[in-house]
Amino acid sequence: MTTLDNTAEQAARDRRRSRTRRIFGVGGAYTVLIGFAAVMLFPFVYMVATALKTPEDTFRYPPKVLPRAPITTTVDGVDVPLFSLPIDGGEANVFLAEEGVEAGVFVDPASPEDSLAWPMSLATETGATATLDGESVPVYTVQVGSEARDLAFQRGTVVGRFVGIDDPSIETFAVVRIAEQESLAEGVAPQWGNFREVTELRDVDRALTNTILVTILVVAGTLFTSIMGGYAFSRLRFKGRDAIFLAYVGSIMIPFTVLIIPLFRLMVSLGWIDTLGSLVWPFLFNAYGTFLMRQFFVSIPKDLEEAAVIDGAKRWKILWGIFVPLSWPAIATLATFMFLYAWNSFIWPLVSINGANSDDFVLTIALSTLGGQSGEGPNLIFAAIVLSVTVPFLVFAFAQRYFVENVATSGIK
Amino acid sequence: MTAPPLTAETRREVGSTPAWFTPLLVWRVLVAAGFAVLLTTRRGIAIEGANRVLVLAGVTLALFVAMLAGYQTYRRRHLGRLLGFTVDLLTASVTGFMALNRMSFFNGLDAVGERFNRNIIWLVVIVAGWLISGWSERGGLSRPRIQRIGRYIMAGGAAIMVLAMGLLGAIPGVLANIADLEVVPVLGVAIVAALFARIQIGESAARLFGTTQSQSEGFDGLLFIAPNALGFLAFFAGPLIFSLVISFTEWSGLQPAEFVGLANYRELLGDALFLRSLRNIVIFGLVAVPLTVAPALLLAALLNSKLPGIRVFRAIYFLPSIAGVVGVTLIWKQLFNATVGFLNYSILEVTEFFNGLFGTAVAAPQPLWISAPEVAMISVIILFVWQRIGFDTVLFLAGMQGIDRSLYEAADIDGAGAWTRFRHITVPMLRPTTFFVVATDIILALQTFNEPFILQAPSTPAGPGNSTLTPVIYLYQQAFQQFQIGYGSAVAWALFILIFGITIIYFRRQGEDGFLKA
Repeated sequence: MTTLDNTAEQAARDRRRSRTRRIFGVGGAYTVLIGFAAVMLFPFVYMVATALKTPEDTFRYPPKVLPRAPITTTVDGVDVPLFSLPIDGGEANVFLAEEGVEAGVFVDPASPEDSLAWPMSLATETGATATLDGESVPVYTVQVGSEARDLAFQRGTVVGRFVGIDDPSIETFAVVRIAEQESLAEGVAPQWGNFREVTELRDVDRALTNTILVTILVVAGTLFTSIMGGYAFSRLRFKGRDAIFLAYVGSIMIPFTVLIIPLFRLMVSLGWIDTLGSLVWPFLFNAYGTFLMRQFFVSIPKDLEEAAVIDGAKRWKILWGIFVPLSWPAIATLATFMFLYAWNSFIWPLVSINGANSDDFVLTIALSTLGGQSGEGPNLIFAAIVLSVTVPFLVFAFAQRYFVENVATSGIK
Repeated sequence: MTAPPLTAETRREVGSTPAWFTPLLVWRVLVAAGFAVLLTTRRGIAIEGANRVLVLAGVTLALFVAMLAGYQTYRRRHLGRLLGFTVDLLTASVTGFMALNRMSFFNGLDAVGERFNRNIIWLVVIVAGWLISGWSERGGLSRPRIQRIGRYIMAGGAAIMVLAMGLLGAIPGVLANIADLEVVPVLGVAIVAALFARIQIGESAARLFGTTQSQSEGFDGLLFIAPNALGFLAFFAGPLIFSLVISFTEWSGLQPAEFVGLANYRELLGDALFLRSLRNIVIFGLVAVPLTVAPALLLAALLNSKLPGIRVFRAIYFLPSIAGVVGVTLIWKQLFNATVGFLNYSILEVTEFFNGLFGTAVAAPQPLWISAPEVAMISVIILFVWQRIGFDTVLFLAGMQGIDRSLYEAADIDGAGAWTRFRHITVPMLRPTTFFVVATDIILALQTFNEPFILQAPSTPAGPGNSTLTPVIYLYQQAFQQFQIGYGSAVAWALFILIFGITIIYFRRQGEDGFLKA
């Protein structure tokens, strides 16, 4: 009996312990996952925020993520800037209500750095004097908010009267020029106009539509040739088929680097340099796509088409009527692969669209040209980046499955 | 429909000779004669330099095939049909391509680009229609009416777009180019060749040449593979051979190429800049690849543990690899900014936090990420790792999901802990995936170009003190800035040999460990 009890107790203790360990394990797992997710996401958050900044805001130190800009308020139907000035130990948002108030610069004789520009109407002469830089100056009692201070008068000046936006009884004074430089009130203020501005800039607009056009043509063309080729490799027996297929598969191994120079020379001799065609025509034939479609077609059972063959249907009809509708997953996978490739390729456009004609820019080239110029503020460059990233992200949101599928199948091959 | 299995002989006797047979024979003779003229006259092949040998060999082969095709066509053999069709298809493709290129057909895409830009709104309509028709099938419900509406919107949008872009109106412009006298004969040859190719596809040709069922299958195979294979030859295989040939020449692209044998490769071995680029890229790979693979393996293992929210994390990790390298590099360029960048600011904040915690006064390092020779490569590594981790994670995850669950169940019964299971089941079973991940990462790392190029723009992509010079950047500089096209090609092939060698060695090493045999 006792031994049994002991075992039961032991088991319960084990269960408890394993549950604690599990909770710790799950907590640790989520900590790691969330940590990496933050690292992966931060640059994109920063991207969107920077795209909405003013040019000055992008050079701020210490850097702030959210876009900040001077804020304004409407007084008597006019937009006026807001200032953030110290009042009674705190700070308040105020606007300039009156300019040209006669004032003096008052200095604490004990610590000459502590100076204050304040209207003469709030200062009363005490009759005493103090020594400032070896000169004898009069001392005033200055009423600052609720506090009265005895300060030495240094020289005369002019200040502005600032009044609180919410509470008109709040009132403070400051030299207007200095306040405009140092104390403009800031708030989170996204500059949506950046997006309009960037599309008017250096043909980013054309680059965006050119990229869309090139991508559509490359994806559609590759799908067509790959489906045709994949069908021939999977279903039609002909002499040399396996040798050609081997050449195709082997060619996947060969890096594009080797092809850049000869393809460029080919474009030169065809007269295709600096044309959109150089980004489309050479890329409609893809060995990887043919391989992918072939692998999928091989897995389609033969008896599905046999009935059609007996009916005497042409192979063309069998392919587009039976094979293609069955192969949407593979087609979508290939489409996402080609989409990413066409949308994001950089080195090829860099050599083949080499800059004479910005009408033929694609986004990657427009971006790198913008990024290499010191003239444009980073905010506009980032607005262009947002444009270039939005489309792949949208497509990803709709077709996540196929992106992941694409990666997974590339791993299996 | 399918005739009883007749022999080739009897089939031939069944049908009478169709009207097109004599013209076809004449055409076959003409084509062969054409190739002979091309080969023997001085003006025939105007190409000089390295390509000349290749083109001459190609035309000689074509002449031989054309003659054989003619003879076999005369004898009404299927081989004649097959070869004749091949020759005609190639002739029509090459001459048609030449004529269309002469008529600026392929460059017409630029004009389309401008019209496309002005009518982009219709693309939005098409996409909206597509989304509507797709949405109609959501949740297992089929709403045919909504689907039809979506399709109508799509078709309408596409039709309006084509009309608004004036694509139909552009056709007369292209046709007007035919007036160019040099185009007419070439285009004529293309049209006639295409016509005869079409005739030879037809049913009556199959009967006349006594094509059997399996021969017909092979013929169809040729047809289906043709668009792909022609493009493959023109834009892959041809350039590849051309690249190898010019890597043995000295060529600026202006004068004819001069054959120099292995001199380019010999020069590479003593080229300090090339060796520097190799050193850079090897160090880069040795650091960046493990830093990518190890966290990816960890993340995949965590994602594989069936916790809720996995899909969200997987999607987030995947974002850097779809965002496009130019965009993300420019984002990081700003983060790397030495004075106002977030990276140095975070280093400062973290250092101050720990200084406050321990009462120390450690000075926070504030490296000039991109512009200091000691750290420029580190910024490229950070960027590479950040971009690649998510992709590798998804790969590993796919591999892990393929591991037999019963192995883990057996281990559970034996009382194995999480670490033991990971070490003794996951890691060994994941060998093929790991091999693939590491190999692709190495291949990718060795070809690094975009990141240093964009980070360093507008100054030289070689980076401060050549610290981010990679072989591909060196290739780019040699071929496209110094116009040393032959030498640049030699760099490309040397890099390819390096990549290939490393992959093979790695493959062998893995093979000895036994996963290939298993």
